Amino acid sequence: MFRNILVPTDGSALSRKAARQAVQFAKEQKARVTGLYVAPPYKPGTLEDAPMLNFVSPRQHEARMSATARKHLKAIETAAAAAGVRCETLHTLSDFPYDEIVRTARRRKCDLVYMASHGRRGISRLLLGSQTSKVLAHSMIPVIVCR
Amino acid sequence: MFKNILVPTDGSARSQRAVRRALQLAKEQKARVSALWVGPVWQPTLYAYDESVPAGFISPRRFATGVRKIAARQLGAVRKAAAAAGVSCKTVSVQGPFPHMEIIRMARRNRCDLIVMASHGRRGISRLLLGSQTALVLAYARIPVMVCR
Repeated sequence: MFRNILVPTDGSALSRKAARQAVQFAKEQKARVTGLYVAPPYKPGTLEDAPMLNFVSPRQHEARMSATARKHLKAIETAAAAAGVRCETLHTLSDFPYDEIVRTARRRKCDLVYMASHGRRGISRLLLGSQTSKVLAHSMIPVIVCR
Repeated sequence: MFKNILVPTDGSARSQRAVRRALQLAKEQKARVSALWVGPVWQPTLYAYDESVPAGFISPRRFATGVRKIAARQLGAVRKAAAAAGVSCKTVSVQGPFPHMEIIRMARRNRCDLIVMASHGRRGISRLLLGSQTALVLAYARIPVMVCR
């Protein structure tokens, strides 16, 4: 029924759990997994920020973000490899993770999004994370929200 | 991975689509399906000023018959589809003022491990909004919820 499962991650504990479940589910569905990490884009510091103290060049920023993305996506890749599930991962820079998630789902022709109910910003288990609720609102494909 | 799938339905077109998806998924996962229909409870009409019966008054008994009839029709459709797909399916209809609470309670009592429901049923006004009951189920559920469009 599902052929390509999108697994967005932000590296939080809950999203790691969602990724593990997604890989298991993909194995049973004989689907492949597409891992996605969305990092914040480069923002030059303003003068008030005392720019010289912690100045980050665009290139440094990109290197840092790639390193973080690789760390978080590696977890999905190893889980998929262990389960024998085909897996590809990608990361992008964006201020709006939900938009990247919905767009990547369309571009990669995913037919299911498997994500955590909240990642790093959900303050309570009663609340849905901001990105999760936005993905639910904008997604054209089914979304499994994992607790 | 999923062995017992709960499918709440309100009979709307979207929720019928969610039911079809759930049955397909249950077939592949060799899971069983519990279909749930939550109806409204009878409420007395408040504006009976005099002894006369207000317009549109429905007696509790007639209300119950009507609700039962709708439940039977909508759950019957699910049961038929499940039989066609060869999925073991049990159907339950309950009445309650808060459908999301009935859904959560049913999931817990039946030890379901996945809820499959539509993004909105009869009250979602726009495709950008989540239905009220879906949002509430997402907030209270302890198990994964699959939201279908």
